Amino acid sequence: MFKKYWFFGLILITILLSSCTEKRQPSIPEDISFAATVNIKDMTVSFVDLKKMALAEEWKMEKPYTGALILPDRDAILFYGNQLETADLYSLKEGKKIGSWETGTGIVNGKLLADKTGVALVDQDLNKIRFFNIEGKELKQIEAESNPLTILESRKAKKLFVLSFNHEKLAVIDLQTKEKTDEFITHPSAAGAWLNEESNELWIGGHGEGIEIEQDIHVYDSETGDLKKTIPAPSMPINFLEKDNHVYVLSHGSNMLYKIKESGELAASVSIAANPFEMAFAEGKLLVAGYDSNDVHILDPENLKSLKTIKVGEGPFKMVLRERMK
Amino acid sequence: MRFLTNSLAKKMWLTVTAAILITILYSYFLSYLFYEKIYVENVEESLLAEGERLALEYQGGPLADDLREKIDWYNSKSETEIFIVSNPRELSACLPFEIDYQTLIGKEEREELLKGNAVQKLGYEERFDRKIMGVIIPLLDENRLQGIIYLYLPLAKISEITQGFAYLWFIAAMIFTVVSIVLGTMLVKKLTKPLLDMKDAAEHVSQGHYDVHLAIDSKDEIGQLAHAFNHMSSSIQKEDERKRDFLANVSHELRTPISYVKGYSDALMSDMVQSDEERNNYLRLIHREAGRMERLVGDLLDLSKLESNEYKLEKMPLPLAQLIEDALEKYKPFIQEKGLELHYALDPDIIINGDEGRIEQVIQNIMDNSLRYTEKGEISIRLYQIKEKCWIDIEDTGIGIPEEHLNNIKQRFYRVNKGRTRSDGGTGLGLAISEKLVKLHQGELIVLSEVNKGTTVRIMLPVLEMD
Repeated sequence: MFKKYWFFGLILITILLSSCTEKRQPSIPEDISFAATVNIKDMTVSFVDLKKMALAEEWKMEKPYTGALILPDRDAILFYGNQLETADLYSLKEGKKIGSWETGTGIVNGKLLADKTGVALVDQDLNKIRFFNIEGKELKQIEAESNPLTILESRKAKKLFVLSFNHEKLAVIDLQTKEKTDEFITHPSAAGAWLNEESNELWIGGHGEGIEIEQDIHVYDSETGDLKKTIPAPSMPINFLEKDNHVYVLSHGSNMLYKIKESGELAASVSIAANPFEMAFAEGKLLVAGYDSNDVHILDPENLKSLKTIKVGEGPFKMVLRERMK
Repeated sequence: MRFLTNSLAKKMWLTVTAAILITILYSYFLSYLFYEKIYVENVEESLLAEGERLALEYQGGPLADDLREKIDWYNSKSETEIFIVSNPRELSACLPFEIDYQTLIGKEEREELLKGNAVQKLGYEERFDRKIMGVIIPLLDENRLQGIIYLYLPLAKISEITQGFAYLWFIAAMIFTVVSIVLGTMLVKKLTKPLLDMKDAAEHVSQGHYDVHLAIDSKDEIGQLAHAFNHMSSSIQKEDERKRDFLANVSHELRTPISYVKGYSDALMSDMVQSDEERNNYLRLIHREAGRMERLVGDLLDLSKLESNEYKLEKMPLPLAQLIEDALEKYKPFIQEKGLELHYALDPDIIINGDEGRIEQVIQNIMDNSLRYTEKGEISIRLYQIKEKCWIDIEDTGIGIPEEHLNNIKQRFYRVNKGRTRSDGGTGLGLAISEKLVKLHQGELIVLSEVNKGTTVRIMLPVLEMD
């Protein structure tokens, strides 16, 4: 009698067990290099194949992730979100969740440190910078000013700069001792920064305070915290990248991309995307994600010419890269 | 509260007034709502159209100063507040960074605007610190929200317009309220006045004055009640009169024998009587009058029993012919004595279900009357059956009854000749008792008569069906 039904029983058990497991996402092959955008309006992740310059896959997520970072094994991707209790680890190749880090809510930014042994997460609930090893074990928490958002690592000085969004403060953390060593006054609503390690210049952008719109990049001395100069980059410069002695600045208020010499002179500019927040260099190309236009623009960094526009999910807010091993 | 609810008029007045007030308030709010809705919709549509026309001025790219100037100029001429905004901060462009700033438009609104849809606003806006009705028109350069045109009207302005309407409404409502309350009061008074009249009339009746008549001619329930009341009071009046007549009759009927008894007994006691013969004569007279009183009281007792519905008949199957024959037997000597003839034709097969003694009493009462008022001629009795009824006709050739008295002849103590005394020995109750008894047998008693020709008393009784 049981013989008759064992097959159906097996199917039933399979269904039962599989329903317990997480939804599987399309696999991302190990050998492709991609730029992945975390799209916050429709809770998706779009993987753009950098070689083909085309959308490779899209993951539909179940939680409102706002950012991600790829761990040194190049397969595990850690998603975090301001409202989420955990940061979730997914395997790209398997397309499924493989673990969670108990972070609590308030994580707004994250960075894999240059030595690739740990991760710094920015917690706006606790107003702390939290250091984790790559296994997800929390090592240390360091007090920051309220609303920390942008973090910037100095490889040479082994320091971490933490910008407070609404407190006009910049904290400097020594990465070796993991202690706060310094604190500078900055301008209001600072966001986005770039460190020129040669000249010890810290370029900081921002949104502006209240009805005022930030029009300039503020250049501070990274040692003393003194404001050295301002460079106009209207409006709302919030993202910086450096390549070949040029700084690429993205101003989301006017949808402008500026190419500025390290000296501060404007080399080129272009109007791009709609409300762009994110920018990345990959495979010698410049990628700009438009938050309102829901696309990724691929540009030639030399002349800022648009090479291609790729549609991604709604509201690309963060972009992470996995490039081919060199 | 008791003061308000202790009379029907007040209750009705309260109900009417409350109904009026509720109706007015309800219609006020309803019409105000409709008015405002229609007006607001209208204004909203015109704002939208105005904004869309203005948006046509935008040619793409960053907002040019001359467009701002145009909008500012237009704003200075227009009653609507119009402004153009290009500040990305105000347009929630920095929203994912959760900036502590009260932006002009929210996240959902920005999404709508990015799709190219206008956004409508109605209600309190923190930015303007007042209630507004507004429309936001997006200025899109492809998928870039370069700016917005914000058009709004403070709701206070709209309520200013509705205020005129509200005043008008208020005045109209006041007039309506006053008029309808006055009319309602009048109506309530009109409705309740007959009830008050009836109350007064009832008090009048309870004090023994039965001659009230309510002059209410309406046909509604109150009119019907008044009619019933009039009927009741006139019935009471009639009954009262009958009772009074009855008492007068009874005392009158008793007075004659009593005065006889008293007079003759006085004579006997005062030794005025000379001879034994005279004394015997007096005693006989006293005895006769006492007998009459006895009969009268007996009849009255019978009548009161019959009228009180306590009277129980002892019914049994009776051969009616036999019964009549036996009863007539007693009258034969008297008939012979008066020189009258007696005829009878009785159907021997008729059997009724009746009380033997009572039926005999009926026959006797009628025979007594016939004999009393017939001086010459004959008395004939017939018993016959027609369908399920047996008919007994007792016919005489007596003095007869004038037509105008026929209807009343069956009443107690009724006399055709008021001046006549009861020297004939009747109590004046015989026919009344007979009729009652016949009715108790589910029968009918009819008197037919012609003056100087004779009288026929016809009794109809249901026949007992012998299966």
